[in-house]
Amino acid sequence: MARVLITVRLSPEADLHSAMRELGLEEDEVDTGYGLVPIDPQQGLYAMRVTESAGMRMSGSPAADAHSDPPIEPFGPPR
Amino acid sequence: MRVLVQLRPSPDLVAAVATPGASLTAADVAEGLPGVVLDRTFAPVAVPRPLPAHPGGDPLSLNQPLLFSLAPGEASVVVRGEIADDEISSRVSLLPATRRDVIAVYADPAIETTLTCGGDRPVGDWHDVARLLRVDDLAAEGLDGSGVALAVVDTGINAAHVASVTGRDVIVDRERSWSPSGVSGDPGDFAVDHGTMCAFDTLIAAPRASLVDIPVLLSRRQGATTLDGLLSDAIAAYAHLRGVLEAQPASSRSLVISNSWGSFSPRWDFPPGNPGNYSDNPAHPFNLMVGSLAEAGADILFAAGNCGHECSDGRCAYPDRPIAGANSHPRALSVAGVDTQGERVGYSSQGPGRLSVRKPDISAFTHFAGSGAFGADEPDSGTSAACPVAAGLVAAVRTRWPSSTLSASQLRTLLRRTADDRSHVGYDYDYGYGVVDAAGIIAALRRRAAKAA
Repeated sequence: MARVLITVRLSPEADLHSAMRELGLEEDEVDTGYGLVPIDPQQGLYAMRVTESAGMRMSGSPAADAHSDPPIEPFGPPR
Repeated sequence: MRVLVQLRPSPDLVAAVATPGASLTAADVAEGLPGVVLDRTFAPVAVPRPLPAHPGGDPLSLNQPLLFSLAPGEASVVVRGEIADDEISSRVSLLPATRRDVIAVYADPAIETTLTCGGDRPVGDWHDVARLLRVDDLAAEGLDGSGVALAVVDTGINAAHVASVTGRDVIVDRERSWSPSGVSGDPGDFAVDHGTMCAFDTLIAAPRASLVDIPVLLSRRQGATTLDGLLSDAIAAYAHLRGVLEAQPASSRSLVISNSWGSFSPRWDFPPGNPGNYSDNPAHPFNLMVGSLAEAGADILFAAGNCGHECSDGRCAYPDRPIAGANSHPRALSVAGVDTQGERVGYSSQGPGRLSVRKPDISAFTHFAGSGAFGADEPDSGTSAACPVAAGLVAAVRTRWPSSTLSASQLRTLLRRTADDRSHVGYDYDYGYGVVDAAGIIAALRRRAAKAA
C-alpha cells in the first residue's frame, strides 16, 4: 500500500501509540515498522508514514504536514 | 569561469595589436575591467570585422559574401580572463555598460582535455589516492581514524571483502549500526555492492576508523526494481545517528557521515514552492535533520551527484541545478569528483546548488581501481567514491580533533580554505574551492595546535 510521509506536532514524550490515539489513526493506516521518528523532539516534531487516505484526511489538520518522500539512489557507478 | 572579452580600443591600439611581432599585453588593452582577472599570459588578438563584399549588403548578416577587415578603425581585440562563477551573469551584462570599449563577453570552454566519463578505464589506483591524500603524513601525525565513528549510509558493508582487498582488519561498530525496518542482515555482512565500495574508500585515509553500517538503500519500496530506498528511511537513520552522537561525551564527540546517494529526478518530489517540497526546501524534515546533526557536531558529507554536463548519468532528470536537497545543504560538504590526475570527471555535477548556491564545496578523488566491488577491472567511480574518500580524510582529522576543539563548521571552513584551487579566482562551480589537500590541512592543524599551546 502506498505510504506518505507526514510530520506531526505532539508532546515531547509522545510514542507511536499515543500519537495514533491523538491523531485518530488506526493501526492499518500507519507504517508501524517505521514508527514515530523524532525530527526535533524538543519542539515535539515527529515523522510518520501513513496510508494515502489517512494522509489526505489529516492534510487539513494544523497538527500534520505532508512532505515528499522521493526515492534515493546510489550515485555510482555512472550509467 | 574563463571568458573571452572583445573590445574596441583606440585605432592606434588596434593597429599595434594587429602588427605582427607586436609585444602588447592584455593589460595594455584591457587593464581595469571590473570583476575580470586578466590572463596576462595570453597576448591580445586582433579580430577582423566582417563587411559585406558587395555594396548595399546587409551589415549585420553573416550569410552573404564577406570581406574581413583588420583596418584599425574596424577591427576589434580579444583578451582572455576569468570571472567568478557566482558573478558571471551580472558581470556579463554590466561590463559593456560600464566600459564603452567592451563589445561583448564570450564563454571560453576548455577544448584541450577529454574528461573521464562513466565506462572509462580506471585512472590510477587506490594506492595513488593514498599518496595524494598523504596518508603516511597523516599517520605520522596520529591521524588514522582511531576511535572515530564513521557512518556509511548506503547499501550495507561487506567487511570481509574490504579486508581482503586492503589486507587489513576492518573495524565495524555493530552496536551503533542500524537498519531500516524490513532490512535483514548483520552489520558488516551485507552483499558486496555500492556500500562496500564506499566503506573501502573511507578507509584509504582513515584505516582505523570504526565503521557504522547504515544500509538505508536496501529498503525496497513497493514496485521498485533498482537498488534504492526512500528519503523517509534516511530520516529514520539520521534520528538513530543523532542518538549515537548524543551518547558520546561532549568533550570527545566525533561522528562522520558519508552519503553517496541522492534523488535523480524531481518526478517524485512536490514542486519547488510547495511546503512539502524536498529539493529546494530547507524546512523539509530530512534537511532539518541534517542541519540539527551538523549543529550537534556531526561532519556530514554528500556526493554532489553524477549529472555533470559532459557525460551525465542517464537517470539525471533535473532540467538544471542537479545538486538538490541535502546534497546542497549549507551545513554539509558537497563533494565533486576528480580523477587521480586532478581533472574533474565529466559526470561530476556542477553548481549552483539548490539549498545553497556555492555547491559543490570541494573535490576529491574518484574513478580509480580500488575496492573491486563491481568487478576486478571496474573502478570505484561516481561522486559516490569521491564522497567517502573525503569523509575518510575528515575522519582522520577527527582522530585528534573532536568537535569540541574543532567544530563541524570550522572543519568545513578548513577543508575549503586549504583546498587546492583549480581556477584562477577561487571558487568555481566545477571544483568548488578545489581539491582536498591533506598537506594544507596538516599544516593548518599544526598552526592551530601551536596557537592553543
